Amino acid sequence: MIRILIVEDEKPIRDLIDIQLSTAGYSCTATGDGTEAADLIERGNFDLILLDVMLPGVNGYELMEYIRPTGVPVIFITAKHEVRDRVKGLRLGADDYIVKPFDIVELLARVETILRRCRKTDSRAEVEGVTIDFDAHAAYKKGKQLDLTTKEFGLLSLFVRNKNIALYRETLYERVWENEYAGDSRTVDLHVQRLRKKLGWERCLVTVYKIGYRLEVPK
Amino acid sequence: MKFSWKLFMWTISIVAVTLAFGGYYLVSSFFQSVLSRETKQALDESVIICFAFETSALNIPSKYEHLQDRTVTQIGATLDSGGQNRYIRISGEDTAALYESNGFSSDNSILNDASDSERIYKITLADGRYYIQTAVKVNVVDRELYFETLRDITGVFEEREASFSVYTRICIAVLLCEGVIIFLLSRWLTRPVNLLSAATRNMTRGNYAYRARKISNDELGGLTEDFNEMAASLEKNVEQLQEAARSQEEFIGALTHELKTPLTAIIGYADMLRSQKMDAKKQILSANYIYQEGRRLEKLSFDLLDILVLKRTDKPMTQFSASSIFEYIEDTFSKPHINLLLQYDESWIMGDPSLIKTLLANLIDNSDKASEPSDEIEVTGKINGCTYIFTVRDHGCGILPENLDKITQAFYMTDESRSRSRHGAGLGLTLCAEIARLHDTVLNIESAVGLGTSVSFGLDTGARNTETEGGDSIE
Repeated sequence: MIRILIVEDEKPIRDLIDIQLSTAGYSCTATGDGTEAADLIERGNFDLILLDVMLPGVNGYELMEYIRPTGVPVIFITAKHEVRDRVKGLRLGADDYIVKPFDIVELLARVETILRRCRKTDSRAEVEGVTIDFDAHAAYKKGKQLDLTTKEFGLLSLFVRNKNIALYRETLYERVWENEYAGDSRTVDLHVQRLRKKLGWERCLVTVYKIGYRLEVPK
Repeated sequence: MKFSWKLFMWTISIVAVTLAFGGYYLVSSFFQSVLSRETKQALDESVIICFAFETSALNIPSKYEHLQDRTVTQIGATLDSGGQNRYIRISGEDTAALYESNGFSSDNSILNDASDSERIYKITLADGRYYIQTAVKVNVVDRELYFETLRDITGVFEEREASFSVYTRICIAVLLCEGVIIFLLSRWLTRPVNLLSAATRNMTRGNYAYRARKISNDELGGLTEDFNEMAASLEKNVEQLQEAARSQEEFIGALTHELKTPLTAIIGYADMLRSQKMDAKKQILSANYIYQEGRRLEKLSFDLLDILVLKRTDKPMTQFSASSIFEYIEDTFSKPHINLLLQYDESWIMGDPSLIKTLLANLIDNSDKASEPSDEIEVTGKINGCTYIFTVRDHGCGILPENLDKITQAFYMTDESRSRSRHGAGLGLTLCAEIARLHDTVLNIESAVGLGTSVSFGLDTGARNTETEGGDSIE
């Protein structure tokens, strides 16, 4: 199981991230104190660290210096939007950063991307008889490669990463088409229907009334 | 060209020209006076010779009614032996020479102008030597004779040449010496300008702390002083601007942080609630966080609004009693973990009672945050002349001296992490300072790390008005 350390001093946000990542199947340890975080890093063997920049005790940048030699990938959580701050984090060796306020979907996507990049997770996932190879951008069913368009594969990855979470049409549109959601576009529905048919997921990829879609997988 | 070079060149030129003209005039006038003396002597000589000749001619026995050419020559020879450096020539009516001294080396063209009334002279140059030649026509016995004298004055001219050459050498020496002196002098005089110039260049490069060194007490020294004064005020302005820009940046950064943190929680939990099936426990947790963070945003916006409104409010002038304030504090803070110690003199106070309550409540709240539970917090009110002094003192963690002047800045929190563990956005003291400013007073903050903090401020008691309108505003 992937172990993630969450270092965030705001309890509501710490709990939020904890709940989300736990739901997504990661094992989480959370702390709000920089000094305690340093102790945990020394003792525990983590696969990823989510690190807030402003911390009591030891601040995030200082902690970064401490983490770097261990080679554990780090995602910075920052409220500061200035390029300067982001660059500072990345230069110190962070793998990615996420700016508050963030979507859960975005958080999960970044976590997974980093884990996959660092070879902490298998780049393949098996869901409902479909094997997805994220690196190869390909999906297989019964050993046969499925003919998916880029958008369809994007949708598939999003559903697989957010199992049992209702994804809003606007979220789907914004993340896959990387565009502002116009409101009444049928594009998402059209693509989801085609994807359903190609995968044979008529039963598990359900429509959530007035909201969007959810991939239902037994826990 | 550099100013020092200009100064140098001009001074040297003027001195050289002055020396040249002055010297020329001096040597020339001296030469003229020597020359006129020589001329006078030459003319005098001519008179003497003529007189001597006439005397000699008259002394010849009178049997000779006629003055023979031979006699003239004889007398001439006798006269000639009388002087050195002098030559004579005596000519007959036809200007043919009857007697001529050995070495008389000038022609007789002067005789054309000679008359018997007046002696004439001219300066001639022959064989590289200068002479004064005089001529006169004299009637002796029955003859009309021309007398010429020649006086060698080469020495006078040589002396002039020598004077010129000596003077030229003196001039050159003087100019050289003076050149060196003026060069050094001009460098020394223009040094303040160079230093100023260097200071200006330094400041242009952004080194605003650089100051020109003052090395003289003259106008240039004054200029240096003025320049430094200007530089100081410029530096101060630049610093103030930078400080203002920096504090604005900090304010915006802090505000962003204060807004984003609750927003992240609200958006995150709301998103979770709307898109996931969660158990009842998690649902309540999420809803509770949304509520709390929403309230936090509300407080933040109201606090900010208060500060903005206060900045535009006029000084409030109501009269209220000290006891009303302290009763309010006693009611509000009667919580089990707060150990308040109230001690006050009764008095009338001028100001806005609700704002003063807010101020004190914020101060007590801060003290509470800084203290351990059940630590004592003293709130005192004392009359000091026409001023009523409120003091809030705690025995909490205290504030580092370097942070003392920052604590009234918006969003500033002594805890670097901006930790919300004890809640608040860091606007409390900003609000307090703003209220104090409105009452024409300042917060006087004293603190020692580990010993505690004391904040005090004074308000007008309005002592003069008490008699006339005090009665009915109490209670």
